[in-house]
Amino acid sequence: MTVLPPAWRVGRVTPLGELHTPPRMTAALLRLAVQIVLVASLWHGLYAAAGTTAGLDRDQAVSYAVLAVLASRLREIDQYAARDTVIQHMHFGTIVYWYLRPMPPQRYYALRALGEQLYGLAWSLAGYLVCLAAGVVQPPASAAVAGVFALSMLFGQWVLYYVMLVIDQLCFWTLRNGAALLILIFAQNLLSGVYAPLWFFPDWFITLSSFLPFQATLSVPLSLYVGRIPLSDAAFQLSVQAGWIVVLALFTRFLWRRAARRVISQGG
Amino acid sequence: MNAVRIAWRVTRLNFRAQLEYRTEFLMMIAVGAIWQVSVLVFATVLLTRFTGMGGWNSSDVLLIPATRMLAHGLFVLVLGRIHALGRFIQEGVIDTYLVRPMPVHRQVQLQFFPTNAIGDLTVAAGLMVGAIARSDLDWTAGRITYLVAAVFGGMLLEAALFTVVACASLRFPAADYWGRWLEELLGTFGSYPLNVLPRAVGGLLTFGLPLAFVAYFPAAVLTGHGHDTGVPYWLAAASPLIGLLAYLAARLLWKWSLNHYTGVNG
Amino acid sequence: MTGSIEVRGLSRTFHTTVRRPGFAGALRSLVNPERVAKHAVSDVTFDVAQGELLALLGPNGAGKSTTIKMLTGILTPTSGTARVAGVVPYEERERNARNIGAVFGQRTQLWWDLPVRESFAILRDIYEVPKAEHAARLKEFDELLELSSFWDTRVRHLSLGQRVRCDLAAALLHDPPVVFLDEPTIGMDVVVKEQVREFLRHQVAERGRTVLLTTHDMTEVERLAERVVLINHGRLVLDGALDEIRRRFGSTWQLRATLADPHTEVAGLPGVVVVRREGRQVVFGPEGPGAEALSVHQALKLVIERYELAGIAIDEADLEDVMRAAYAQAEAAL
Repeated sequence: MTVLPPAWRVGRVTPLGELHTPPRMTAALLRLAVQIVLVASLWHGLYAAAGTTAGLDRDQAVSYAVLAVLASRLREIDQYAARDTVIQHMHFGTIVYWYLRPMPPQRYYALRALGEQLYGLAWSLAGYLVCLAAGVVQPPASAAVAGVFALSMLFGQWVLYYVMLVIDQLCFWTLRNGAALLILIFAQNLLSGVYAPLWFFPDWFITLSSFLPFQATLSVPLSLYVGRIPLSDAAFQLSVQAGWIVVLALFTRFLWRRAARRVISQGG
Repeated sequence: MNAVRIAWRVTRLNFRAQLEYRTEFLMMIAVGAIWQVSVLVFATVLLTRFTGMGGWNSSDVLLIPATRMLAHGLFVLVLGRIHALGRFIQEGVIDTYLVRPMPVHRQVQLQFFPTNAIGDLTVAAGLMVGAIARSDLDWTAGRITYLVAAVFGGMLLEAALFTVVACASLRFPAADYWGRWLEELLGTFGSYPLNVLPRAVGGLLTFGLPLAFVAYFPAAVLTGHGHDTGVPYWLAAASPLIGLLAYLAARLLWKWSLNHYTGVNG
Repeated sequence: MTGSIEVRGLSRTFHTTVRRPGFAGALRSLVNPERVAKHAVSDVTFDVAQGELLALLGPNGAGKSTTIKMLTGILTPTSGTARVAGVVPYEERERNARNIGAVFGQRTQLWWDLPVRESFAILRDIYEVPKAEHAARLKEFDELLELSSFWDTRVRHLSLGQRVRCDLAAALLHDPPVVFLDEPTIGMDVVVKEQVREFLRHQVAERGRTVLLTTHDMTEVERLAERVVLINHGRLVLDGALDEIRRRFGSTWQLRATLADPHTEVAGLPGVVVVRREGRQVVFGPEGPGAEALSVHQALKLVIERYELAGIAIDEADLEDVMRAAYAQAEAAL
């Protein structure tokens, strides 16, 4: 009768928490709107005296930057407000409850993240439609581009899920060691191309970043959207993304096992 | 005098506590450096791609991120803990501070030693030296004094903004979220000549969120762009003073908010 | 399936690195860390029968929480075995999880940001409890704990007493035969404490649940437990019915005497010792522990005969004193 996974209500935690706190939603709306206006104006301003730079013209760059803001919204809610992050559970000692339930912590975590990403998607889609209508963002060049972008974005979110998971998993070991954590977060912010399209960076930087998973989260799908990566390259980029998904899936599974062993040998 | 001695002793202990975990200590320095480098890479990437941004030549424009980053590094070192206040409140730490015979603000600042500030400051100082060396300006005593004042003004202004957020989180713990946004905004928009932005947006970043006073206005005054910032010259030139006034006002607000603090979690 | 607990020779040792002082010491610790073993629990054996409430007592750091963690499956013992409702908890954690409910003192398992009832719904999902059963049990819990007056409030806004009541309900919603409660009533007011105790009594007597409780509140032990297990320094020092323990250690008493003449020399009497003296105030206590000690009436007689007093008062031992005496004796025996 139902195709929902068991315990799907776990996925509702984030959206419900937000719906119960209207001020938080107003804040999110305000932040999203302001950020889009700022980013769009900045790129318009920067391009005022320049033509095509790094293979991107003004409209492409603005579309890229605005879409980056929208896509960040997918997992940008205030994680700490719900007191359900690994680091908080480690801090308050409530991580034991994750291991006291007949549901593996990894499934609980995945359901929570899925709910969060779907909730974020609603925001991003709404924002996208508004930006499209207002002409801030260019529509995709063709239906094929739109389709490839959608698939690539899905893969990108999948990779992002694993990157965030690794960051959270580190908290099982690093209550006293926030530095590794922060480095990983910076890497994600800088190398995913949220702040500026990676195309603007020096060549060595682009090469370096191509060996890391971060650009697969955002830079690749957005470049496909604005046409900076041609459709002919799409198959290759998608397979790289898929490769990262496999690698990170195995890696995070390994980390979950180590985390469980750690909890079980220390008692939470 | 006694207060200074206590503050110094606690700071030394905090520093020793950070040294206890040596890898963590070195990594935290790296974190500060990487954060600044990421801002720097971002800024320089744009500066090299878009030369003549807002009518500034590239060596002049470098003064903006240099001032902003040095001010930020000093803020992290001296007053940065106010940023973590939202977390302290949620964890109930603030309630224990309230019963101790030392001003709460000082206790917040003495909570831990900001190792990452070492990295922050190193990169920022390097950038500042580079910016000064590359600039064609005549570095008279007056200019240097103004630059130093601007850096301190920028630090105080950033501290004022985070203090306001902290005041809000005394009442609404969720305001912590705004603190993170504020940091991001300061990082992304604090490093350019704001006249590349449309007038309304530039105005927002001047009078709404006054980040123009942190680095853009002082750098404009120093490099002779002070008359086309969109605000009267005297206002742009008064940036360091505005930082100081903003900080004093924020501290008054802090005092008031603390008196009206009713605790969290019932 | 019965809800009994079997613990056999359970031990748990933690290894920690000693930090040497100073910079040179820190360097030496880095190169050649000195590891020390801490025996948190050693060779503990006891049973809890189905439908029994057992109080696990001991001073802070005695090993109570470590024991509970091993029985809930979140900690693997170094040696020994445990079975909870027929399952070895640390080998089949998830199967064990369905049989047990647990509340760890002030740590809440509820979702901070959601109304309590949503937390209950999520747990219902996780434990796969049928809807009707869930509703019926919630109704039962509401009658005993008065949850409905605040279960639409978000957890972050609940008072401690309200939150712990909700946590108790959350831990029992899937009808577990075995319940572990680690200091559940810590920091609660008297009224709520009594309500929680009534709830626990009901769960044991009417629902036949097995409860293992740790607490520092002796009133609670008196009201709830028939049997107690005492551990100290990780070792089991006493396992017995509350009545029996009272009999063995309960003859502790104190006589507070006020001397008529403050300059009187005071010494012990056969079977009676001077516990302390402050000017005219002298406190006498029994010599030797437990059963062999003099009764308070014999002692009273001796003291009154020997000294000239302006007044005297008798303090009979409450459970707290009984436990203190029991610890002291166990300590001496180690």
